[in-house]
Amino acid sequence: MNAPTSSSSGTAPKLRIGMLRLTDSAPVVTAHEFGFFADEGVEVELAVEPSWANIADKLAFGALDAAVIVPPLAFAVQLGLRGVAQPMLIPYTLSVGGVAITLERELATRVRALGESDDLDPLPALAACLRQQPLTLGVVHAFSTHNLLCRYWLASVGIEVDRDVKLAVVPPSRAVEALREKQISGFCAGAPWGEVALRNSVGHSIAGSQQIWSNAPEKAFAVSARWANQHPEALSGVLRALHRSSRFCDDAENTAYIASLLSRRRYLNLGSHAILASLPGGAETSNGCVFHRGAATFPWRSQGLWFLSQMRRWQLIDDSIDLRTLAERVYRPDLYRAALSPSGESVPRADWKVEGAHAAAWSLDATPLPIPMPPDRFCDGTVFDPDALPPLGESAMPIRARNNGNDATR
Amino acid sequence: MESHPPMSLKILLIDTDAGRARALEEILCESGFAQVVRVPEGAGRIAAVEDIKPDLIIVDMALPDRDALEDLRLVSSGHPIVMFAGSDDPAFAEQAIDAGVCSYNLSGVPLQDIKPIMASAIALFRRLRKVEGELAEAQARLEERHLMERAKALLMQGRRMTEPEAYRWLQKTAMNQNRKLAEVVAAFVTQHDAGTDSHKGKGRQP
Repeated sequence: MNAPTSSSSGTAPKLRIGMLRLTDSAPVVTAHEFGFFADEGVEVELAVEPSWANIADKLAFGALDAAVIVPPLAFAVQLGLRGVAQPMLIPYTLSVGGVAITLERELATRVRALGESDDLDPLPALAACLRQQPLTLGVVHAFSTHNLLCRYWLASVGIEVDRDVKLAVVPPSRAVEALREKQISGFCAGAPWGEVALRNSVGHSIAGSQQIWSNAPEKAFAVSARWANQHPEALSGVLRALHRSSRFCDDAENTAYIASLLSRRRYLNLGSHAILASLPGGAETSNGCVFHRGAATFPWRSQGLWFLSQMRRWQLIDDSIDLRTLAERVYRPDLYRAALSPSGESVPRADWKVEGAHAAAWSLDATPLPIPMPPDRFCDGTVFDPDALPPLGESAMPIRARNNGNDATR
Repeated sequence: MESHPPMSLKILLIDTDAGRARALEEILCESGFAQVVRVPEGAGRIAAVEDIKPDLIIVDMALPDRDALEDLRLVSSGHPIVMFAGSDDPAFAEQAIDAGVCSYNLSGVPLQDIKPIMASAIALFRRLRKVEGELAEAQARLEERHLMERAKALLMQGRRMTEPEAYRWLQKTAMNQNRKLAEVVAAFVTQHDAGTDSHKGKGRQP
């Protein structure tokens, strides 16, 4: 192992990265523990935070420089939607997939039994259950991928939030307890919490992000524009270190090693087997986390725009905001290329792509070599073309978002 | 927005540390803030906030419940919702974050009225945090020692070393790799656990 000798020299730029107790923090934890950041001459301090609210506030007030974040929350910080605004950049995607929809055991069994007669698709079965009896499902923060994916999925079969189902915010680390105490009937959260519910015999996962949007981007590496502008060289180094780590984390041979690293008290503080399940090579083959394959690390502007369009759909952001410009300002594939192209890494040529157009594996135009890509379908078969963003109101269903008072604060 | 005289503010404290919440309640009551409400730990804690309808919520930042709190209609529809948004004094918010306490200003109470309340909370959290920090440090030292014992035991068992030999081996490895002894010990134990964790065997070193 290369010895991180430069980290203590005092001149190394310091980067404070916030993260939550989630499996998809793996690339950042691994890069830190194996000295990949130090090899690039950057001193990193990892802060494990208890809530997304803490991540957002600490980014806003400069107590953190960067974070492993759900992209909608990075947009919320950029826009000042829940407090003070702080310009953010997303030059790197950390993970794809890994989100699970977990129901309490009895409901899961009912949904599964109904689904048997319905081509094994759990969604119509869940919809039928919800129409009989409105239930409460837990999602993580309002500005999370989980909230947006869950709403998208339910809406695709006409389930109305507030009428057919209540969505309540439950922090993932509390979700298992809330399920056991029957405060919620299910939850949508990132790994390893679905697996933790299973291992505690309180719930079963019936679906995951893969069934909602296959190959869906999950966590991003977001850095404050201020830090990025002050340390452009160091930022390139950070992206190289992350990329080295993403490769390592995506290799099934390393799974057990990464799981025991994450299980340590200062990180996830959970049994390593629950973590192992959702890592590449783990038991969760269809809904596990992906860290590198299929250009998983590339910050696609089209994916940023998809998140923004869903935030608008559920009235989490103001109608007057130019979403395309905002996606361009925050998502920075140019920084990704500048850091990784010189090393000969295959890098996508385009900044935007049509999302949801591939039902089968396909090949992505990249330099120097094309990149093999997995299917990327949405559950409702919609193709999201960033050049043809639907005009305002078209996708607005008669569904009221809960946070409709969250308009601009300044 | 309607304005309140600061003395009639209804303040809600959400804190897992009952002693600290009680201390803060005392301080605020002594200064004349009569309406201080503490919500007890428990299932309905966050839902209770909507019934209480406070003007100001003071919350321990170590609680994961903040995410749930921000979903409440009462909180999310407030217009600066969190941390003195719109304040021209970011240093004050930074002090609060540093102390681990945060506030939600729900009824548009002027910032100058909230500042002394938050200053008391910040001071109290900071004082108690120092004690906590010392405790965490002691715990970290204990964990390091525990890992060292395990690493030595593994070496003694697996490689038939004596205890001093095992210690010297770890020390030498740390010196050769130019890393801290504690780091090498932790990595050694982690790697061993990974090796026995699955039938797949050893994880590859980067």
